[in-house]
Amino acid sequence: MNIQIVGTVEYIDIGTGTWAIATDTDEQYEIWQPAPEAILQEGLKVKVSAKVRDDVFTMAAIGEVIEVEDFQRL
Amino acid sequence: MKKFLLTCLFFAGLFWALSTYQGLAVQGKYDSMVLNFRNDLSSEQVDRELKAIASKYGIEPKFNSSFSKSSRLYIVKGDAQVLDKLKQSEELRSLTEYVEANYVYSMDFIGGGTTPNDPMYKEQWNLKAIEVEKAWQKTKGKGITVAVIDTGVSKVDDLKNTNFVKGYDFVNDREDASDDNGHGTHVAGTIAQSTNNNFGVAGVAYEASIMPLKVLSASGGGTISDIAEAIIFAADNGANVINMSLGGGGESKLMQEAIDYAYKKGVVIVAAAGNSNRNAAFYPARYPKVIAVSATGSTGEKAPYSNYGAGIDVAAPGGAIARGKNGEKGDTSGGILQNTIDPRTKQSVFSSFQGTSMAAPHVSGVVALIEASGVKDPEKVLQVLKQSSRKVTDDTLNYYGAGHLNAAAAVNIASQGQLGIPDFLRWARDNGYLSPRFWIDGGAVALIPKLIMVIGSYLLAWLLNRWFPFRWNWSFNNGVFFGGAGLFFLRGFYLFDITQLPFRIAGSSLPELGNAFSNTNALNPITASVLLPLGLLLILLGHPQWKWFAIGSAIGTSACLATSAVLAPQMMWIGDGTPAIAFLSVNSLLCFGFAYLSIKSETSSI
Repeated sequence: MNIQIVGTVEYIDIGTGTWAIATDTDEQYEIWQPAPEAILQEGLKVKVSAKVRDDVFTMAAIGEVIEVEDFQRL
Repeated sequence: MKKFLLTCLFFAGLFWALSTYQGLAVQGKYDSMVLNFRNDLSSEQVDRELKAIASKYGIEPKFNSSFSKSSRLYIVKGDAQVLDKLKQSEELRSLTEYVEANYVYSMDFIGGGTTPNDPMYKEQWNLKAIEVEKAWQKTKGKGITVAVIDTGVSKVDDLKNTNFVKGYDFVNDREDASDDNGHGTHVAGTIAQSTNNNFGVAGVAYEASIMPLKVLSASGGGTISDIAEAIIFAADNGANVINMSLGGGGESKLMQEAIDYAYKKGVVIVAAAGNSNRNAAFYPARYPKVIAVSATGSTGEKAPYSNYGAGIDVAAPGGAIARGKNGEKGDTSGGILQNTIDPRTKQSVFSSFQGTSMAAPHVSGVVALIEASGVKDPEKVLQVLKQSSRKVTDDTLNYYGAGHLNAAAAVNIASQGQLGIPDFLRWARDNGYLSPRFWIDGGAVALIPKLIMVIGSYLLAWLLNRWFPFRWNWSFNNGVFFGGAGLFFLRGFYLFDITQLPFRIAGSSLPELGNAFSNTNALNPITASVLLPLGLLLILLGHPQWKWFAIGSAIGTSACLATSAVLAPQMMWIGDGTPAIAFLSVNSLLCFGFAYLSIKSETSSI
């Protein structure tokens, strides 16, 4: 499944740490690695088109995992 | 005859006690010997003898301290064999007053406690929180294997004395399951860090063996297929416990089948509840046959990130680390400290992490201790875990499941076989009433007070009916029911991923509505008073049918408040002392008074 989300990139300090996008509606998506280097910046506002990866699990376990296919800085 | 038997029994007991008492000496550890030379020897003679010992045994006697010179007290360090020979030397015996082992007197032996000598143990608030020291007096998990399904496990310095069994790296398809992230090694450390080794930190079941299974890559993610394979590998290769500090994915038949397979083989499966502060344990913790663990901070409160509610079985320390001003890690003392690798350099480091990932291995470690104490059936292990947890009385949103993990109580119950009656949840689990869709918290409702409220309110209604005979109708019945107890069973009902609030509101009686929104059983004085029934009476008294609902609700509320005043006088802002009892009693009487007056006027006007 592909989705489009708008939100802020955040570094989440859980376990050894992970990257996520938090939307304005308080939803959190974990960014699947490897992701484009340029998106991994704390506080970056982005519009992302991504694939939902419900076939994977992560050690951070903060919610749905998305594989970023394309993104735009806002 | 009786006296004779008692005497025999007394001596038999005494004999048994003496024969099994090992004494201080047998248990003591020593790595040095004390030589106390006779005082009548000249210092030259002593020097000569010391030199002889040095050349013969290759060890050099030293003064114990600067005070020992006058008393001619020397210490020789060496291994047990050398020290034994020294003790048996005839020559040395003739020159000394005594030669004896220099026992190491640690807390282990003096207080009967088991405080380990790991220098950083004092920073592990989490191990004290689960009372693991008392559990260590009985077992340290020997003979039990815990599979760590994670990012792999590297044999860092403080895992050197830890037992490992063969594992597998499912990411790179090879036998060496070393860690390249740092997460799995940390998790394995919490379970079985080398302990009492004068180095680093301690682990919960440090005589248990670790089976490292790598399914998550260096960046911390992995596929369902690898995880399912790892679960089956663990079950087929003799693992007793599986720890999965991972989550976030969707429901999967493949995973479900792997879990069922391992469970049937008698493997206890533990998983982290997830870290998004949501009302539901994530997969795989959500599967009914997996023990879902929520996380607490150093004060015992739910950690801010921890998932809660639907599916949570038990709570364990997961740590809480405050973020510093610049977004960097702040004070890390609230985290869980273990030995792991630095993912960049692969060097051994001591790091503090937070997460339900850190809470789950505490439970896996305690499960290893339970199994080493003789209870191995997964159902019974879960029962021991739940029965031994420290209950949290005011946990209406199920932050903590059965309560705070307690290793000492768990090992006690397991070793004494004191299993209670299986709880409702186990019955529901066994009969397939629990699923990844909905969940029931068996402990959410205190059943006895609720039954007293229902019976009490109908007794009051019956009493009033005797004084002023009125027609018992449907509205009145509903009023009595919703005023007194409500659909209380709904309070423990959960749908995964959805707020439980609607069920809490629907499951509340009138007086409980005020605390349906908060995580407490303390009654809100605004709703738990005469105000609501009085308001209903004022509004509805003109309506021919609904007035009976209002009257009924006043009777129900009266019974509810009276029961609370006697059994659980807990109120927001007022507390749980005499003022709360007085408040509830007065309001209960007022409710009854208004119901009495209303019925009196209604029946007299007919």
